[in-house]
Formats: sequence, C-alpha cells, structure tokens
Amino acid sequence: MLHYFLRRFLIAIITVIAISILSFAIIQLPRGDYVNTYVAQQTASGTQISAEESENLRKQYGLDQPMWRQYLTWISNVLRGDFGLSFEWQRPVSSVIGERLMLTIVLTSAAVVFTWIIALPIGIYSAVRQYSPLDYLFTFIGFIGLAIPSFLVALILMYLGFKYFNADIGGLFSSEYVNAPWSRGRVWDLMKHLPLPAMVLALSGTAEVIRVMRANLLDELRKPYVSAARAKGLTEWQVIMRHPVRVALNPFISTIGYLLPYVISGSVIVSLVLSLPTIGPLLLRSLLAQDMYLAGAIVLLLGVMTVIGTFISDLLLMWVDPRIRSEM
Amino acid sequence: MSLTSKLSRRTMLQATATGIAGSLGAQFYLPSVFAQGDAPGASLIGDLEGPVIVSDPGLIPTEFQEAPQLAELVAKGELPPVADRLGLDPLVIDPLHEIGTYGGTWNRGFTGAGDKWNGYRAAGYDMLLARATNGQDVVPNIAKGWEFSEDGRTIDVFLRRGMHWSDGAPFTADDFVFWYEEMFLNDELMPVKTVSMVLNRVPGRVSKIDEVTVRFEFDEPYFLFTDFLAGGGQAVDGLNAHGFYAPAHYLKQFHPNFADATSLDQAIAEAGVDNWAVLLKLKNDWAINPELPVLTAWKTVSPINTPTWTLERNPYSIWVDSAGNQLPYLDDIQMVLAENIEVINLRAIAGDYDFQARHIDIAKLPIILENRELSDYTVYLDTGDYGSDVAFTINQAYDIDPEVGSWLATTDFRRALSLGIERDQINETFFLGTGTSGSPVPSEENRYNPGPEFRTLWATYDPEQANQLLDGLGLTEKDGDGFRQRLDGQGRLRVEAVTISGQFLPFTQICEVIAEHWREIGIELIIREVERGLSDTMVGANEVQMYVWNNDGSENVFVSPKAVIARGLDPMGPPYGLWYSSNGTEGLEPPDHLREAMEKFDRAYVAPVEERTQLAKELWANAADQVYAIGVVGLSAASMGIRIVKNDIGNVPARQYNSPASRNPGISCPPTFFIKE
Repeated sequence: MLHYFLRRFLIAIITVIAISILSFAIIQLPRGDYVNTYVAQQTASGTQISAEESENLRKQYGLDQPMWRQYLTWISNVLRGDFGLSFEWQRPVSSVIGERLMLTIVLTSAAVVFTWIIALPIGIYSAVRQYSPLDYLFTFIGFIGLAIPSFLVALILMYLGFKYFNADIGGLFSSEYVNAPWSRGRVWDLMKHLPLPAMVLALSGTAEVIRVMRANLLDELRKPYVSAARAKGLTEWQVIMRHPVRVALNPFISTIGYLLPYVISGSVIVSLVLSLPTIGPLLLRSLLAQDMYLAGAIVLLLGVMTVIGTFISDLLLMWVDPRIRSEM
Repeated sequence: MSLTSKLSRRTMLQATATGIAGSLGAQFYLPSVFAQGDAPGASLIGDLEGPVIVSDPGLIPTEFQEAPQLAELVAKGELPPVADRLGLDPLVIDPLHEIGTYGGTWNRGFTGAGDKWNGYRAAGYDMLLARATNGQDVVPNIAKGWEFSEDGRTIDVFLRRGMHWSDGAPFTADDFVFWYEEMFLNDELMPVKTVSMVLNRVPGRVSKIDEVTVRFEFDEPYFLFTDFLAGGGQAVDGLNAHGFYAPAHYLKQFHPNFADATSLDQAIAEAGVDNWAVLLKLKNDWAINPELPVLTAWKTVSPINTPTWTLERNPYSIWVDSAGNQLPYLDDIQMVLAENIEVINLRAIAGDYDFQARHIDIAKLPIILENRELSDYTVYLDTGDYGSDVAFTINQAYDIDPEVGSWLATTDFRRALSLGIERDQINETFFLGTGTSGSPVPSEENRYNPGPEFRTLWATYDPEQANQLLDGLGLTEKDGDGFRQRLDGQGRLRVEAVTISGQFLPFTQICEVIAEHWREIGIELIIREVERGLSDTMVGANEVQMYVWNNDGSENVFVSPKAVIARGLDPMGPPYGLWYSSNGTEGLEPPDHLREAMEKFDRAYVAPVEERTQLAKELWANAADQVYAIGVVGLSAASMGIRIVKNDIGNVPARQYNSPASRNPGISCPPTFFIKE
C-alpha cells in the first residue's frame, strides 16, 4: 500500500520535471524570441530599433544565454517560488497570473457545477424513461450542445446581447469595478456577469455527462439487485436513487482528478471571444509574444495540475476498487 | 509544400467569403453613404483641420483658470496657483471650434501590455517639437522654439520659463544634461546610442547654455534634426532610456552615480530585475510607473499592465486654451482591456468608446456605419499619408534559389508583376473603395511626393504589357496550366510572398486574389503566412522573396528610408542593407541604381531643406521607376484611420493627418477635446 503510494508519487515528480523541461523547450522551439516581438511592435508604431539595440535587449533579458542555462536559471528560481518577470507585462509572473487564476477557477467551477446540475438529472431521467419523447429531446439538445463549438455559442449570445439588450459585451466586471479592490459590490458585479459565460462553457460538457450517466444507469437498472429492491416494496424513487444511481456515479468520481487541469484550461477559447480576464487569453498572448517565463509558468501549472489530478484519481480508484489494491 | 497548398485553399475560401461579404456590403449597405462623389466613401473623408498654436504675444492670455478639482486643491494650499504652475510661457492653443468645459472621462479600449501606442497616441505628446496640422511642417511643443546655426551643425532649443514636471519640480536644461551625461553617455545603460543623436557614426553633444537653452552639436550639418525632435520624447522613448531629456531629480535615486549602493540594491531586488540599468528604464516608463514625473497633459495612475489603463490630468500641464483655461478639459482617460480586437470593434459599435480609431477594422465599416444613430457616434476617415497600405517589397538580394533571385533583381520582371495586379478590384473588395490604387509613393500632400505621374508609373493594370515584358525576358515556355517555366528546366517559375497573420488588414487573403491576377500573366504566387515576430527573423536571415506589409513611416523618408534604399536588415535586400550600414565592410555591394540612391540619400541627409526635398523626390521617382516595392492600394484609412467619435465630443477635426509621425489623434491636441452639454 505504502509502496504503491510512494511509487506513484515518485513517478509524478519525474513527470513534472519532464513537463517543465518540455514546456520550456517547446515555447522556445519557434524561431525568434520576445525581442523580435517587441521590435516588431515598436517598428509597427514608427519607432526605429537598430539591430545592435535588439542584441542589447537580448543580453538584458538573458536571452543570449544557451537554452539549458536559461532553463536552469528559471527552474531554480521557480523552486524558490519566483516565477520571474513577464517581459510583456513588466511585472512578476505570479502577480500577472494571480487574480486571473482565481477568476478562472471561479468561472470553470461554476461551469462544472452547472453541467452536473443540468446533466445528471437529465441522464437519470433518460435512463429510466429510455426512448421516451423527452429522452429524445434531451439527447438531441445535448448533442447540439456538443456539436456546436462553445465559442460560436458565445459569439451568437454576444451578438444577441448587443442587438436586443444593449448589454455589457464581454468581460467579467462592469467598467467601474474592473480595477476596483474587492468589495461586496464587486463580488455582486461578478455574480451578475458569471452566469452567461458559465452556461456557455457548461453547455458543451452536458451531452457527455448525460450520455455517460444514461449508459451507466441503464447497465445498473438491468441488474438483479434492482429487482430485489423493488420486490422489497421500496418506492420507485428509492429504488433508483439509493442504489443504481450511486453505482453509476462511480466513473465520475474516478475522473474527478481530470477536472483540475480543466478548470484552468477549459475556458481558453470562450474567454478569448468573450474577453474574460482568465488565464486563457494570457496564455495565448504570451505564446505569440514568446513571453516565455509567463507562458512557461502557465504550461507548468497546467502540467502540475494534470499530474496531481491523475495522482488523486489513482488514489481514489485504489480506495474504491479492491482489484487494484490486490495487484500491489 | 503540402502545408502551403492546404493553407492556400483555406485562405482562398476565406478570401472568397470576404470578397462576397465585401461586395454585398457595397451593394446593400453603402449606397446611402457612398453615393455622393466619385470615389465611394468620399463623403466620410473631410478636410484636413486642427487646432492652432497661438504665437502672437498680444493674443496670449494673462489670466488663467483651472479645473474645479485643482482649484479646490489650490484653495486648500496643497497646490500652487495655476499661473505659478504654468510658468511664464505656457503653450497656448486656439481650439479647433470652441472653448470647452471641464470634466468627464475619455473612454477607450486597449489590448494589453503590448498596446503601448494606444496611450502614447492619446496622451503621450511630450516631444520637444511637433507636427503642424498638415503633418509636414514642424512647430513648437514642449520646447518654445529652436534655432539652427548657419552651418546647420548647432541647434539651440529654447525651453519654457518656469515650466514644471508633474510633481512640481522645475523642468530645465539640467534635465537634458542629466540625460546626455548620465544616460546617453553611459555605456551600461545605453550601449547603443539613440539613432537620431548619431550622425554618420559620430554621436552629437548636448550642453546647457542657460536654464532654458539647450545646445545640440554635431560634426556635420543636421537640418534634419528638427524632424527627429518632433518625435521621441519621454512618454514613448523613456522606457529605452532615449528621449533627449529625463527627470533628473527623480531618476538619480536609481542611478549608481548618485544613489547609495544599499538602497539601490534594495530597489533592484524589490522590482525583481537584474541590474540598475533595467530598473532605471522601468522607472522611466511613462505607461508603467505612476510615480514618474512627466510633462504630458495626462499622467498614468493605473498602469498599462492592469485591466484598466487610466490616466488623470497633470496639474502642471503647460497646455492652455486661448481663453486662459488650463488644458486638458477631460479629467481622465480610461482604457479598458479587451482580450481581442473583435471585442474592441463590437464595443466601439455599441458606443462604449468616446473617440477611438486604434484597432478599428475597415472590413467592419458597413456595420459601423449602420449603427451610427443607434450608438450616437460619427465616423470619420483619416486617410494615410504613406503610399501603400499593401505593398510587396521585393528582395533584390535573394540567393537561396538563384534563378528566382535573379528574376527578382531584374527591373522589368518587377515592373511586369506590378502591371499584372488589378488594383481597383482589391480596393473595392478589401477597402470598400476608400483607398487609392497605385505605386508606393507618398500622398500628393506630402512634401517629398515626386509628382502625380509617379502614382501610376508601372502601377496600372496592364496584363498585355506585363506579358510582353515577361516574354521579352525570355520567359516564353509555358506549361499546360499556362504558367511560365524556369530557364533552368526546374519546372514552374514560382515566386513566394510572406504575409503576417492577425493584422488590421487581411494580407493573406489580398495576396490570394493577387495570385489569381498573376495567373493571367503566367506567374505562380505562393503565399506563406507567418507570425509577426517570425517574419522579422526570416527577413533578417534573407529568406524572404517578397515581404507584404504597408509602408507606414515612409512618408518621412529620412526617418524610415526602407522604401527608397536598403538600410540594415530591410526586406528590400538585407545583404545590401548591411553593406550600406557597415560602410561597405560587410554584406554585398548593391547594383548601380541602388548604390546611387544610397549616395543620394546620404547627401540629402545633411542638406538644407530645399536641396533635401529635391533629392527626396528623386529618390521616390527612382523607387517607383525601379519598382523596389509593388504598391497595391494605399492612402486609405485602414491603419488607425477609421475614427469613431461620440457626437457629444467637441473640437473634433473632420480629418486629421494620419501617419506614425502625427500620432493621431495626438496631432489634433486631445487636451482640447471636451464633452458638450
């Protein structure tokens, strides 16, 4: 048991190290670097920057060092909790990511909760009333949700909001609260802006959850213990909710770990379209600009979240499933 | 190869879609607007106008007023009286239409920490000199005036008496001496000297004559220097330690020659940077550091690296209207972050912005016009002064494929390609007819324009002549699809253009249409779309055959000469540019016509105005005749010229000069903008 735990833990550590090296290498893979982006921005605006000055900037940012040395400097600082300075934002990476990370987690968590609130009851209903008109209807709507990319839904909602309601377009805050410190008013403002993007994000996930729940539950409903429960004279509600639904939820519990990276990366495209101040647009922008400490920190964060999520799933499975324990 | 063709198909589809949308727009949305006048869109293009600097001593106000909140501070004794803050020589502006009233916020949108020019253009107008409304002449700005010595080697710049930094410290010649001695000459801070301060590789010198007189000296005549003094400044250049002046009293605490070592080390550690040079530049960044003393009419309070970049009025602003009211009228500028340009356009159309041209997309013009009444704004088109919004700069020193390289270096080949483009179709489809077809020479209003005939020289649509020229070069063999064959027997003659993704014009789609045009003259065009930063690297490595971009900056041909000569790693021929920049020690010796142009350019650089203007016209005539770049469509409003202004804003010009040098709307003096009751 302890041996299994330690082995998984060790593998997780090695994976994180590999991820950190790979992410750093991949970010640097395209030719050019942040200085190219900076010079391009400046010349596009009419400022001339000579080749010598570019070299000087490169030296200043440490971009003239070989990649392995840049990596070692970066990772040793990361281990001390210093993620470096974002070139483009001219601010420590941790402060650039900070608030956006919080908002991202709030947004995607809301989306996950929405997904489950909508999808689980529908999934149960569809299984119990298999092939009923409502089963077909919900399945249809669910698949539409799956088939339409969420950014398109976002675009359509934005257009409708603009055309008919003259509503605030994009963002998670009204303009007076964007830079304000946290207060009751700001939290309320966030609450008012949250449902729309959360629903957009939730919509794409519902079909999958409905189908998985429906299939699992259908399997369970055919098992003898369900008939036994019925024979004992329980009400239909009790029969379904007490046993088969709980068993059917198992796959969701074992994949709960995968939600960790999702809450950070799940909203990239929708955030971009709706102009939400989350990690997504930041990641895209930093990759385009080769702002590598910022991009590296985000990619590393995603990797670590995935590893932790998998680790948790492993432990959960070990706890739930005796067969895995016995293999140790 | 397969990637390229896949990309081509996809972008072709997009091009077709855009084309359809464009022509639909032209048919169904535009008639009411574009019907008047010959050129469609002409009714949106007004006359050039702008506020005027009052120089007549009799008209300079003697009594001054200020914004109510500043008056309050004065009453409380927290701020000196307005007359003391303004000093003896305020910058008096006669507003374009009327004297305004104080108050209100200027709402804009920006795209993040890289979008510095958004604020520079709105509020970063602290150059020593500036451009007049016509964009050509130089007028006073932060400096009161200037005087050249007869030989043009010495320029005295006169400052305003009793002028202050935004924190109340005096602004004097000492701030120039500090910049020169402690920043410019410091090799750690500035290993590469400010380009405009170096004439033929010899740096100029700066000295103090008295409190309000600064002398710039050079080894050769430098009549061009005022053009450079009308650029730069602390707002734009401070972050690179350039800018001609700097707040000595503030920056000394970050300079090792003045600060004590322990507190400097502490400041370096606190900012999370590596050394004092980076720290000082960070502290001298107008958009980043709210503590920085500045000279602009507004100053940053919430920096650019936050979700809302906010600026508020500078109590020591030297701008004053002709009735004696200290400017700006508007209390503050608030730029709200949008994660992408589509959101900026949608918000602009929804009427969220008071005055914005930056990031407004010309393809959305029909929708923008449709919503004018609903969102209560007016649309103005500020046409560009530079000749091309789309131009193919041809690399005459391309050597990866020697045969293609030799054709690109052949004048008649370049002329044929140029004659093979149906420019009017591109203008209609992508510019909704608001641009001008033709060569890359600057507008007829530009002082260096060589004459109207050069707009059309080798820049009309004449496939017949193009085919004759190509046949004349011996490119007569064609394959089954009608494409001309290479002379070395390696199949089709393909030329390649590099376009940049995600810009304010769909360069790739435009090229796809041109590829169809060139099919008619038997030339196959391959298009490679790359990211902006990468394109620079590719140009520098001499890998690009044709570089597709606008030629902004070329309207000030001595500031940005890349359209008439090769200098440095310019797309016209990096090895030639290197040869020029290294004085012949590196790179390749250019062909005669280019070398003559380089010699002419050098002569013009140190010549007095008349001679310089004449030589510049000759340089442009040569560039158009040699087709160094193929101009497609230009003089349009595509780049920062689709201006959406709410109807309650006052002193709005019908048209403003649009080029990087004018920093529009900077040239229209935003401190005179106000909200009408």
